[in-house]
Amino acid sequence: MTKPNRAQHSNAVTTAWQFTEQVPHGRELGMQVVSVDQGQVCMRLTPQSWMFAQEDTKEICTSVLYSLADSAGGLAVFAGALELMPIATLDLRMDYLRPASGDQALLAVATCRHLTDEVAFIHCDILSEGNRELLATANATFMRNTQGQQFQAGGRKKEGA
Amino acid sequence: MSTTGDSAQPISGPTESGKESADWQALLERIPYARHLGLEVQRGDAGVLVHLPCCEALIGNFMLPALHGGVLGALIELTARVAAQSQDAETRCPRILDSHINYLRSAKARSTFARADVVRQGRRTSLVQVTCWQGEKSKPIASGQVQLLLPAMVAQQEDRHGH
Repeated sequence: MTKPNRAQHSNAVTTAWQFTEQVPHGRELGMQVVSVDQGQVCMRLTPQSWMFAQEDTKEICTSVLYSLADSAGGLAVFAGALELMPIATLDLRMDYLRPASGDQALLAVATCRHLTDEVAFIHCDILSEGNRELLATANATFMRNTQGQQFQAGGRKKEGA
Repeated sequence: MSTTGDSAQPISGPTESGKESADWQALLERIPYARHLGLEVQRGDAGVLVHLPCCEALIGNFMLPALHGGVLGALIELTARVAAQSQDAETRCPRILDSHINYLRSAKARSTFARADVVRQGRRTSLVQVTCWQGEKSKPIASGQVQLLLPAMVAQQEDRHGH
């Protein structure tokens, strides 16, 4: 996966991008950051058979889409704010519109809809890479500037708001 | 377990939790992703629990360290799915329609437990409330509501997109 524009980003976005790619759970699931462009984050995940919801179908477990939305949403906070500070997911709501087929990669497209000093409102769409069918939508609220050690990126949890 | 609604299935009490936990374990083991996460059913004071063992691959923030929010999402969704399925007379495989999860406290890199309350078990849908904790049960780290669709019997296999 090429990353054509990482060097052009603000330091905050570059650091958050790198952090997101180092998250152990994201690496386990094979999440990749495809692009961060004008506040819009795109991430990609290639399904594997252990991610399925049942043995006899190739449907990806909804929880894999959930993890992808959480990670993309966290990075979108930094893409919107252009500033590094600890963040914490307050809540996340997923709507699963269609079953996600295991033979297609997943794409997550996340944007920051509104930003205040304390809160970021994030929307994320999960699409099938091949036909661009909308599989799921997510709305998340992140608390900004939570108390934490240095910098926590990528939708990590910190003690409440 | 608690329930509301007059079309609900009978609910198992604590005396039946031995059988119930065996059923839950069997249902969980049919889910490849649940096996991958190492989810295991335990009997607790208040009924059946799902235990998520901690491992390095579940970490979302290695500086704290803390579990990834998506891991708690998975624990809640999969616990809800098994709770809804075990309450169904035909143990139909439910489809998760939506989930809404609130994060209440920091999720540390340690064992996490989940407990399900079936808010309503209907003929077509099930609404399940799941609470997660680590050390103290009275200090939940996350709670979520999951809405599930129970497929029509004849259409269960073929009509996966039927909505």
